[in-house]
Amino acid sequence: MTKLLITEITRMGPAFCVIGLQRERNGIRSVRPVTATANSWMHFAYHRGDVLECDLAPFSGSRPHVEDRASTRGFRKESAVPEPEVVTYLRKAEIAGSLEDLFGCVLHENKTGSGLFAKPPDAKRSVCGTVTQNLRLELCANVLRATLALPSGEVLRDLPVVDRDWRDFIKAALAISRGANRLARLERFLDSQFQCKVLSCPHHFIRLGLTRPYHDRCWLMLDTLIPLPKDDWLEEF
Amino acid sequence: MASTKDATHWRRLVEECFRREAGAEAPVSDPAQDLIETGVLDSMGWVNFVRALESASGLSELGARLTERTPSFESIFQVFSEAKADSPSAGATLAEAGRAATRACAILRSSCAVVGSRTIPSDEIDRAFGMPEGKLRLRAGIESLAYATESENELTLGVRAAQQALQAAACGAQELDWIIATSETHRNYPSLSAQLHSQLLARETCGALDVGGACLGLLNGLAMAQGFIASGQAHTIAVITSDVHSRIFKPGRVRGEFGGLFGDGASAFLLRAKNDSTPQHAYALGEFFFGCAGQYAGAIRVSDAPNGTLDVHFDGEALSRAAITRMEKVILDVELRSGLRRSSAQGLATHQPNPRLVTLLAKQLGLAADKFPSVARIFGNLGSSTCGVALDAILQSARSLYASRSGPIFLASLGPGLLFGGGWLIPA
Repeated sequence: MTKLLITEITRMGPAFCVIGLQRERNGIRSVRPVTATANSWMHFAYHRGDVLECDLAPFSGSRPHVEDRASTRGFRKESAVPEPEVVTYLRKAEIAGSLEDLFGCVLHENKTGSGLFAKPPDAKRSVCGTVTQNLRLELCANVLRATLALPSGEVLRDLPVVDRDWRDFIKAALAISRGANRLARLERFLDSQFQCKVLSCPHHFIRLGLTRPYHDRCWLMLDTLIPLPKDDWLEEF
Repeated sequence: MASTKDATHWRRLVEECFRREAGAEAPVSDPAQDLIETGVLDSMGWVNFVRALESASGLSELGARLTERTPSFESIFQVFSEAKADSPSAGATLAEAGRAATRACAILRSSCAVVGSRTIPSDEIDRAFGMPEGKLRLRAGIESLAYATESENELTLGVRAAQQALQAAACGAQELDWIIATSETHRNYPSLSAQLHSQLLARETCGALDVGGACLGLLNGLAMAQGFIASGQAHTIAVITSDVHSRIFKPGRVRGEFGGLFGDGASAFLLRAKNDSTPQHAYALGEFFFGCAGQYAGAIRVSDAPNGTLDVHFDGEALSRAAITRMEKVILDVELRSGLRRSSAQGLATHQPNPRLVTLLAKQLGLAADKFPSVARIFGNLGSSTCGVALDAILQSARSLYASRSGPIFLASLGPGLLFGGGWLIPA
């Protein structure tokens, strides 16, 4: 039986991808439970910070998704830890401060558009944490994107944001029930209070991930942004 | 008439950007079709398409305006027409209005390039830096380097280039309204532009301005000059580049793999407001665009170390990769924005980190290598003057042709940061 601290719940189309931290003899590492038939879960009722009991088959996924483990039975919630403590553990797992160290490989620029990608055989892992020096979220043609500065001074531009809670927050912010000028109000929030709320949070932290290979490219995405959004922030704009 | 022209322009941009994302053969289907829902593009592809359009159209808020709309061609055209209606300049977006105001208002009247008077075979530089003989030639493709003599420096080289450019246009220095200088090696005061002002005997009310950007400096300078002319602040401007690396990147101070790439040179360009009497073989400045790709910021960093040496962080491999990818992207953007085919170019005046990369870039772009003048191979990387010396070489070659046969000139350069910029010149 494995105990997993859930740190990532990301949206992959209609499904969810889940990553947790597993304690090992030499430290803490990321593990991605997958089903026997798919890499994602159609339903996942748990939250970040939940400690789940599960059974994971001891096999590693192919590069760069070496964190994959097949889940052989369902999850059972054992306990939960608060957000700052989750970050304490995340800081002990995979972490990097520069572009090349993120996935242990060179990241390439998309020549015809935006975003960055890794070549599947080159990347040594598919998830990594970092403390961003600055972060901006924006909506581009209905899609939430992030631009952030790494401790090395390098900038990652226009990454898709797949964090479930942040995506849900944006969706809630744009709900028709919230009245007029929803988009303008959300944009104003993202351009002002958002930065203050996130960067002034003493335990702010992000996790970046790589997509599954698609045409021999694994695209960078923002998997997790901590602090997670609070429902009462919606009352502020 | 103008609106038909605009519609054709937008349609071309949309179709080209779409095909870059969806494939060259992809049909531009029903305008109302939801491109994501119907699987034509996934959400990543849709954003790529929109970002490419933002870059090509100059409408940077396109993505934001498309939020809460169907991802379709129809939505894009709607946003274009709304942006136009919203613009205070009635009939054009801000970006369009700016472009219309600056486009073809400045003529590049004359140019000149000079390099350091000493020509040193690259094998000699290998030895001086303690590297195996032939390393610069075999690895980087550099055959020789132009080094300044003891009596030459940024000022003397810059003055020489400027005087020859002025003479070629029969323009007295007293006619200059601005001197815009750029150098990645001159770090003294008075600044280079002030010293050039004095040496050229420009009139006291001629402005002197130094612009940075390292190897991107020439493009920064040309864009500044174009802006001054377009705004009516100036009629005649000299843009001068000058770089003497051999005094800074010396053996013992920096590693040969870095210091051995650089030579010394200068270039000067005389720009004038366009009027009725445009001389033969003159080129008009098209548009310029700039940016900073911060993901490459770590590839090169140079700073003064406390012990008097230079602290150089130079990841040659990462920088080469970045240079090729970004230059290709800039040149594709020049093509997209200008509507000019790169195959029709008289030449490409680009930054040349080293000759091997120029060859590779030409190959990536499917262009003959001789579209890129040999600067780095013979003189080394001249910093901000590389682009200048290349541009001068293309302009000289165009002068030997009938005016009607000369083609546009593409400009593209990079600077640490990674700063990037592009633009074009068209026969006036």
